[in-house]
Amino acid sequence: MKVLRPARLVAVLAALGLVLLTAIAIGLAWGPSSVSLREALGVLFDAGSTGPAADIVRRIRLPRVAAGALVGASLSVAGVVFQALLRNPLADPFVLGISGGAALGGVAVLSLGHALGLGAGAVPVAAFGGALATTALLFGAAGVRGRLAATTLLLTGVVFNAFASAAIVFLASLGGMAEGTSIFLWLIGNLASARSELLLPLAALFALGLACALPLSRTLNLLSLGDEAAEQLGISVEIAKRVLLFATALMVGAAVSVSGLIGFVGLIVPHALRLVLGPDHRLLVPASALAGAAFLVVCDAAARSVLPGRELPVGAITALAGGPLFLALMRRQQRRGLIA
Amino acid sequence: MRLLCAVALSLLFATALATASDAVAAAPARRIVSMNPSLTRILVAIGATGALVGVDEFSARAEPAAASLPRVGGLYSPSLESVVALQPDLVVLVPSLEQREFRTRLSSLSLSVREFDPVRFEQVLDTIRELGRLVGHEAEATARIDAIRRAQDVVQRAVAGRAKLRAVLVLQREPLFVAGRGSFLDEMLAMAGARNLGAELGETWPRTSVEWLVGAGPEVILDSDSDPAPAARYWAQWPSLPAVAQGRVVAVDAGDVTLPGPDLDQALVTLARALHGNALALDALVAP
Repeated sequence: MKVLRPARLVAVLAALGLVLLTAIAIGLAWGPSSVSLREALGVLFDAGSTGPAADIVRRIRLPRVAAGALVGASLSVAGVVFQALLRNPLADPFVLGISGGAALGGVAVLSLGHALGLGAGAVPVAAFGGALATTALLFGAAGVRGRLAATTLLLTGVVFNAFASAAIVFLASLGGMAEGTSIFLWLIGNLASARSELLLPLAALFALGLACALPLSRTLNLLSLGDEAAEQLGISVEIAKRVLLFATALMVGAAVSVSGLIGFVGLIVPHALRLVLGPDHRLLVPASALAGAAFLVVCDAAARSVLPGRELPVGAITALAGGPLFLALMRRQQRRGLIA
Repeated sequence: MRLLCAVALSLLFATALATASDAVAAAPARRIVSMNPSLTRILVAIGATGALVGVDEFSARAEPAAASLPRVGGLYSPSLESVVALQPDLVVLVPSLEQREFRTRLSSLSLSVREFDPVRFEQVLDTIRELGRLVGHEAEATARIDAIRRAQDVVQRAVAGRAKLRAVLVLQREPLFVAGRGSFLDEMLAMAGARNLGAELGETWPRTSVEWLVGAGPEVILDSDSDPAPAARYWAQWPSLPAVAQGRVVAVDAGDVTLPGPDLDQALVTLARALHGNALALDALVAP
């Protein structure tokens, strides 16, 4: 692997930081109601402002942009970590079943919560509970004889996701039509219900995930070299794998709890960056955080703006925008002869 | 609230299928299975409860008169076998994507099926009339339709000359659904002297955002929640809304308003009072 020059790291991250700032500006200025960019910036920096424009920018768009940035960053970093940890390019944040567990927890509240006297506020809590339980299950099932084997982890995840989908279908058919709609909209992922009180726990768990992934990004480089190379490094790799798996699982659990299953971000952003920046995780991890945040913020701005007044699921936009973008990027690299 | 909103939301999935008719026996139906709470409520209201032999889950929960009848599944889980076992001479349903396959299979088993699509005001009245004919209760159906027409007339005269109020009718808060363009609710809002802001979203049952609503700035928010307290609490978050500033968030019981059923006369009165206050001169309406 090539030496990572600090100058390159700084330049790439600064550029992506600018991209993120632009995305945030778009997210704050673009919406279904006509608030001009100047007006938006005016009320944004005036804490005492009141009225519809202030409500729209400060209390509706700002929390949503923040949630979008945190969820996008969490999913992308999780994607990078899982792709390396499992040595599988198809791994995404949802592959290990953590999302399935979270979705099951959330859907249980959406379909049965009304009968149990639980409101919509209980959905993220239950979803995070589901994510925690799945993480415990993963460690229990895959961590036999002191080692976390990638294949066992993947199998456990795939089987658990299948189980969770079945349970979700069962729960959905118990509920009524409104429950069905809520479940459907929650499962395809949206940031409309991202309340501002959820931002702090979301940010904390993202920070924890990043704080584990950044110092261990060299280990991720080694892990992606293959079993033998990693094995020769002995027990410290096992510990690193466990720390990474745990912190990333919490991060994904938090993201899914807040926004449902927003697909594609965690798969496409890491791969797109790998095509452009190369495979060094010391660069990929922070770059994914910034790019993932920017991508989801812009996609969400589009989701709430393209059809004026109508709310589209952002999960549909990420897939619609991300797929072609990725294919175009891959073709460009192929033409340059950088990849096969 | 959720359950009855659900009824309205079911129309979200409704297809534009015409009320195609299968061969229906000329004799009045005696054993009816209703797959939709609106249709169940109409049948009960026109005195045909005795002809009902089975209902869907939502009807059973929403309509006390149908609570003890055999249940044949929900919107996503209609049970073909349960319906067949009841040996109905008529199955009535509202066409939906979920039940399209179900409907086809019922027909293939030579069961008599009738679809109704009560989306617009006139379609609801047609549904009442047609169900009355099918069960041989034409007189009751006509009486119900006349009562609705009378309410329409009285309410329209009472609000004539008043300024049109900019209003939204919230069907569900999270995720946010409002009454859009072209439904009986849209038409009844107009009859009751409101300008339905949701109509500008184009769709019949649009899913929208709080941002749209704050930007649209309605003077009145009608929230179809049977409990006024949570509705008031929720909308109080947005004091810049004219409706909130003027204390004009009104909870309208979804059971009275959002069901395209037999009680549109009461729904009109509820909407008119919610919009213009109880002082509105509706005395010409005899109590139903």
